[in-house]
Amino acid sequence: MSNEHITEPEVNKNVSPLDDFDNAETVSSAASSAPVSDDSILDFDDDPLSATSVSKKSLVIFFLIDTSGSMKGKKMGELNTVMEELIPEIRRVGEADTDVKIAVLTFSTEVRWMYSNPIPIEDFEWARLRASGVTSMGAAFKELNHRMSRNSFLNSPSLSFAPVIFLMTDGYPSDDYKEGLRELQTNSWYKFGLKAALGIGQEANDNILAEFTGSKDTVVHAYSGGQLAQMIKIIAVTSSQIGSKSMTLSDDTSHELGEEDVFAAKQKLLGQQIQELVSTQTDGDDVPFDTGW
Amino acid sequence: MIELEIGQEVEMEFGGKAKVLSVIGSGGQGIVYLVRFNGQKWALKWYDINKMAKPAAFRKNLQNNINDGPPSNKFLWPKYLTKEMEDGTFGYIMELKPEGFDSFVDILNTYKLEIDPLTGRGVKRPVKFNTLSAMVTCVINIVNAFRQLHRAGKSYQDLNDGGFFINVNTGAVLVCDCDNIAPDGSNFGIGGKPGYMAPEVVRGIAQPNVQTDKYSLAVVLFKLLFRGDPMEGEKVVRDVCLTESSELKHYGQNAVFVYDPDDASNRPVRGIHDNIIKFWRIYPDYIKDAFIRSFTTGISDPTKRIIENEWQKLFIRLRSEIIQCGCGRTNFSSMFIHQNEKTFKCPKCGMEFVTIGFNNRDYRTPLYLGCKFYECEIVPESDDFTAVAGELVENKLKKGVLGIKNCSDRQWKAKMPDGVFYDIAPGKGFPVWQGLEIDFGEVKAQI
Repeated sequence: MSNEHITEPEVNKNVSPLDDFDNAETVSSAASSAPVSDDSILDFDDDPLSATSVSKKSLVIFFLIDTSGSMKGKKMGELNTVMEELIPEIRRVGEADTDVKIAVLTFSTEVRWMYSNPIPIEDFEWARLRASGVTSMGAAFKELNHRMSRNSFLNSPSLSFAPVIFLMTDGYPSDDYKEGLRELQTNSWYKFGLKAALGIGQEANDNILAEFTGSKDTVVHAYSGGQLAQMIKIIAVTSSQIGSKSMTLSDDTSHELGEEDVFAAKQKLLGQQIQELVSTQTDGDDVPFDTGW
Repeated sequence: MIELEIGQEVEMEFGGKAKVLSVIGSGGQGIVYLVRFNGQKWALKWYDINKMAKPAAFRKNLQNNINDGPPSNKFLWPKYLTKEMEDGTFGYIMELKPEGFDSFVDILNTYKLEIDPLTGRGVKRPVKFNTLSAMVTCVINIVNAFRQLHRAGKSYQDLNDGGFFINVNTGAVLVCDCDNIAPDGSNFGIGGKPGYMAPEVVRGIAQPNVQTDKYSLAVVLFKLLFRGDPMEGEKVVRDVCLTESSELKHYGQNAVFVYDPDDASNRPVRGIHDNIIKFWRIYPDYIKDAFIRSFTTGISDPTKRIIENEWQKLFIRLRSEIIQCGCGRTNFSSMFIHQNEKTFKCPKCGMEFVTIGFNNRDYRTPLYLGCKFYECEIVPESDDFTAVAGELVENKLKKGVLGIKNCSDRQWKAKMPDGVFYDIAPGKGFPVWQGLEIDFGEVKAQI
């Protein structure tokens, strides 16, 4: 682990937070009441060179992946391959500022996490997925809501960035996705999170996906294997880049920024960048073999 | 064309072609490739002009910078532009990072992730400064580089931890990503990296300039020494999630330094900001005061920010106050017992260190075997902080006798126990004794 903490944080969890990230459980007064000790210089743990890594913000990237029976074959093969290749590519995305972790939730008849906890990206290994069963998307939303909490997957003692949530599906939900989504929408991590979705093939419904992401800009569609790999990379790389960094809020200096100017700025930027990238991709599969030379 | 392909050839502005060999890395503005040009390997930065506000002006500025040349050899400066492609995209080539340099990011992380090409697994190689002197020299080098840049009338604009390569053995520094450097007052669309940006830039009421560079420089120095974020304390952590609006608040509208003496609302939190808590008590007051000034009055009043020359003096002093004790303890004199006005004592082994006073400064410098002083410390007009002028050594013929060796190229005079001043030619030396006085020319020193 790159972000080792020597001591347990002296945080208490009783003070009401400024935002409602999991209602009333957040870090509070620690150092102000306990000023830095006046330890004598006889304390030998004072080597100016023996630093630990700078305190980092933490980012969890959630992949929600449809593993229903219709994903069988080429789709799942392509997805497994691209995910294996993708992980090393986004390893360095956090630089010195962010610890990036990955959590993968699969949904078919059942909803299942690939690992029981988010795994640091440096140690993450993709476990190949298999497809079978129906599409319990609503149950997946409920499970995600349950885990996106300070008591569960988002338990970093230091600051976090809002999570990246990337949904991939090829079909229409077989359960009541709306009820699951309503629950999820009450979750502050979801509200501030960076949401993107990929529809795979003819059956996937982009309107449902836009309901999930909150805007059409962050929904893309893949109709072929080549596109699937391209789109997964575009979304995962772009969203992890934006998600793992603070935001350059504006380069317009005509007026002072207010909260309303910056609200959901990252999500808007994600939408913009995804659209730009998607529009520049040419789909090799759709181009007749004798053109483009 | 946003991405180049391996093997692709890019035409250079003044003829010749650069052949793309591999990808080195990618950043916010584009991708950096390893290329071969004129039989040599170079780094090619290739822009995504879609992300640029004013590509033509940006290119013109790069051209001007190439013509002006780097302010010193501490910069990995743009060397040649490429031709523009049909769609207007372009890039420039620069020299590759030399061997032996690590990125500042890796130093902050304390390791570099090296990927095993066979398994694809990451292996962590530790990265840290070898000596305290190398670390402080690195700080002086960074400060000096920006002093040179600002003296050339230019500002760096997006100063951040990605902008340096550092040699952890010597403290040598190379400033990279020099492509946003622009004449003070102009800006070609870069805002900067959050956490490093001056509050007025975060708030959207100023564009990057020399004054905002000074704020970012203070953040870089703080991160290098204290290994944490100067504005991230309890107040920020309490927000749990750093949303866009909390960022605007904590780094713009209401930025509070973690050790603001008049505002304790944002102190470092144990378990999260342990580095800062530990290191803050190690550094002497004149260093802490400079950071306090930068991050309190310097937040709202850019003219109150520390100028590079002042940083340089402070850190040259700090380097001269490092004591390397025979018992292995190496620290600043502030962490040794101040036995009396002229002596420090090691709290671990009890060894005592005499000090020497120079007439051009109001603090005394501890002497220990191996300690050095530099040209800039004994020649008033010198800015040379790397050339060693003198060193405390043991006499090779008389074991146990310590003295100062003249490593400069000028003659000094030193007072010997017989009360007479003798000429000390370059390469010669003289013993350290209770009544020692040295005449370096304009600068004089005495025990």
